[in-house]
Amino acid sequence: MTMTDASCCTTSRRRFLGTAAAAGALIGFGADQISTQLAYAAGPYSGDVFVLLSLRGGFDGLSAIVPAFDADYYAARPTIAVPRSQLLGDDPRFGLHPALKPLLPLWNAGTFGAIHAAGQPTPNRSHFAAMEELERAAPGTSVRTGWLNRVLGGLGATTPMNGMAVGSFMPARVMAGPSPELDLSSIDGFTLAGEAKYQPMTATMTGLYAGVPGIMGDTATRLTSALGTMKTATAAQPASSTQYPTTPLGKALRDVARLVKSDVGLMSACVDSGDWDMHENLGTAAPGKKMYDNLTQLAAALAAFAADLGPDTMKRVTLVTVSEFGRRVAENGSAGLDHGYGNAMLMLGGSINGGQVHGTWPGLGDRSLVDGDLKVTTDYRAVIAEILQKRCGLTNVGSVFPNVTPTTLGVVKAR
Amino acid sequence: MTLSPATSRITRRRVVGGTAAVGAALVVPAVVSSSAASAAAAIELVPADADLHLLRRATYGLTAASVAEIRRIGRSAWLDRQLDPASIRDDRGADIATRFPLAGASNDTLKARVKAGTLKQYAWDAMYQTGYAAMSRAIWSERQLFEVMVDFWSNHLNVTCPSSDVWDSRPDYDRTVIRAYAFGRFADMLKASAKHPAMLTYLDNRFSTKTAPNENYGRELLELHTVGLVYSESDVKNAARLLTGLTVDWNTGNYKYAATTHATGPVSIMGFSHPNATTADGEPGSLQLLDYLALHPATARRIATKLCVRFVSDTPPDTLVTRLAKVYLDNGSAIVPVLRALFTSTEFAASRGQKARTPYEDLVASVRALALTPDASGTKGMEALYYYASNAGQGPMAWATPDGYPDVESAWSSPSGLLTRWNAHLNLAAGYWPTELTRPASLFTELIGPLPATYGALVDTLAQRLFGQNLSTAHRATATAYFSKTPADPLKSTDSAVGWAFPYLVACLLNSPYFGIR
Repeated sequence: MTMTDASCCTTSRRRFLGTAAAAGALIGFGADQISTQLAYAAGPYSGDVFVLLSLRGGFDGLSAIVPAFDADYYAARPTIAVPRSQLLGDDPRFGLHPALKPLLPLWNAGTFGAIHAAGQPTPNRSHFAAMEELERAAPGTSVRTGWLNRVLGGLGATTPMNGMAVGSFMPARVMAGPSPELDLSSIDGFTLAGEAKYQPMTATMTGLYAGVPGIMGDTATRLTSALGTMKTATAAQPASSTQYPTTPLGKALRDVARLVKSDVGLMSACVDSGDWDMHENLGTAAPGKKMYDNLTQLAAALAAFAADLGPDTMKRVTLVTVSEFGRRVAENGSAGLDHGYGNAMLMLGGSINGGQVHGTWPGLGDRSLVDGDLKVTTDYRAVIAEILQKRCGLTNVGSVFPNVTPTTLGVVKAR
Repeated sequence: MTLSPATSRITRRRVVGGTAAVGAALVVPAVVSSSAASAAAAIELVPADADLHLLRRATYGLTAASVAEIRRIGRSAWLDRQLDPASIRDDRGADIATRFPLAGASNDTLKARVKAGTLKQYAWDAMYQTGYAAMSRAIWSERQLFEVMVDFWSNHLNVTCPSSDVWDSRPDYDRTVIRAYAFGRFADMLKASAKHPAMLTYLDNRFSTKTAPNENYGRELLELHTVGLVYSESDVKNAARLLTGLTVDWNTGNYKYAATTHATGPVSIMGFSHPNATTADGEPGSLQLLDYLALHPATARRIATKLCVRFVSDTPPDTLVTRLAKVYLDNGSAIVPVLRALFTSTEFAASRGQKARTPYEDLVASVRALALTPDASGTKGMEALYYYASNAGQGPMAWATPDGYPDVESAWSSPSGLLTRWNAHLNLAAGYWPTELTRPASLFTELIGPLPATYGALVDTLAQRLFGQNLSTAHRATATAYFSKTPADPLKSTDSAVGWAFPYLVACLLNSPYFGIR
């Protein structure tokens, strides 16, 4: 493992959303925005498909990637720490939660890995504000776009098929911005009723939204322009041997895999996984307990995704997880964990340097914590920047993450 | 409680072609396609009609009856009547309550049913019935503004329905907290929510202990229910401590105050302080805190803002927010005076065209526009509508996180969401699904009346009925082109546009941007 000891990072909490209550003020693309649309001629995209998996609610990275060597972990969690005897993997310092067993072969093969003590540059323990900042990813600037939309811009995206938020009926904020993208609830559901030979429903809709500006016109245009292309993806099916779980995450990753296989131009996809906000009864590492069950579902979906695409295709797919914050180091009186700070990021992909925990371990002693929480020693944006640079061919990461220098951790292989 | 994927979608800031203002949908230049001269015509998506503007905002959508009523008695009398729901005879509302007997059922009622063997322990039936009833009332209750506000408060003090652990308390919460105070004082609603088993369970306060208080409710009480994101971590910790002891009796499932689990010691929260000296201080101290927070200027401003976002604009004018916050405080958090001030304001009058329908509002408005009524008997069709809303991502009261559904257009501007709405319009208009609702004897007669002379006149008549506005010249031609006709082409009673294909034209107009505006 490559984790070293050190400490860093500011602890002052920043308030960037003074008027968050106004909920949805539509803010324009001001002159001070970073330009992300690069000028190079758009050839076929040959970089990795970058998949962002957001673990909503505050993922407890300390339960997933357990610092078994740190006695303070066991002291802080008398009832819900994962015992050393249950941990998976042969790393003497960090062990995998037993519910991640389906991913152990990938871990051993180096295609599943983690970065620990990662997170946002400053603590933010509000779900809603922390998520907003996580997805804007440009603290201290007036940038209002989602960072994944800026990635699409940097990679030269030209059609909504280049970037997709899969699995929801609502737009993904991380993909919001001027570059084209599509919010796709499901491939099979993306069909317009009433369309027939003498019933030109799509054309009629195109006409009825002609000249309508703003959000309404834009949404309708993206919809009508994508209806035809999506038929291509409908044909792609999972490998017959692959069983995806029937969870929302399983269904969404199944569709991401179909988009990859059908070669519709996907550069990046984002997918969500919910229910990680475990204030109460996070539980021991046993079936029927919240963390165990959620990790079981997560591992099943990720393992199916990797198996479905197969080793060759996975060589050009990189998936990473993010969450708005980690959870408090010490358990509360209801065997749960309140909102915290530093966290683990998980990585899956054929070209990652997995089977190990990257990063700098800050320790869990009282003096190492930030208000009771794991310190952040690695900015999540720097990790993602390293991946985008090495795997996706993004040349100007500063256009995505202002003032961020990519990590040199070697989390992925160079192309 | 749990946080689900949907939380990321709160406030999408889509950047669209530099047209930042949502209200720009109102009057815009439209480029006439294939015209080299690109002559600009104005697209007016909503009519300059104050009656219809009020109906679109204060109800779930136009019906022939509601338009006739407001024309007859005027806006002022119409608003007075809606703000006094008990004065409105509501046979449909009463019928809905009869059809869904478990909607709003008390914990004791459900326990008795379980004991009698007519309901399974932990069954979600009562939560679902509460949801079915909510959508049915939104569609068919005469007390429209009241139902709109029930939806508003259900989101503001969200307890996800259905969700696990509140099977026996969430229906009661709807009746005794949300509906009971929807036109009352917010301070009373807030206190009722704080002591309700549904909220105590959903945000974990029932599990909080004095040794290591659970911060979940304390934080969301400040951030979501009252002052907003102006609190400190110390405020959260102090609130969590003061609130320990407010819990649920494991035997009865009802609220109780447990002094033995209360954390004593002085607390300070957002300018409120309490010595909290004894274990008996938790309950009265908490209620004092809740009163303090409900009447905090930051809360007044937040609720005024949310009401304006609901009824006026996604980016409401600061003047109106400031004025409504003052009305709120002057009236001790009573909501009716705030609503009256809002709907009679010049800012409201000027906000025509500035709100778009969410998927739920779209579905409810569609059923109203199509003059569909409840099943002849039973509830299958009504239940199907609820699942339609769920499939569109907005089942009533079902938002998974404590912040409630977002109420701005940008949060719902998804191609997949729009597609679901379009498909629903056709299914509803043609009666493909659900099949159990009662339909007009003839949809054509209901929506059009006597046969119009031309295809253009057909489109005009339908557009007037559905949204009180004619389509632009180009859009009108697009609509008739669906039948390979021009607006001037004569319409014959034997044409498919009058027969089997008429619902397709209805769907096209319901799909159009004209219907999407609230």
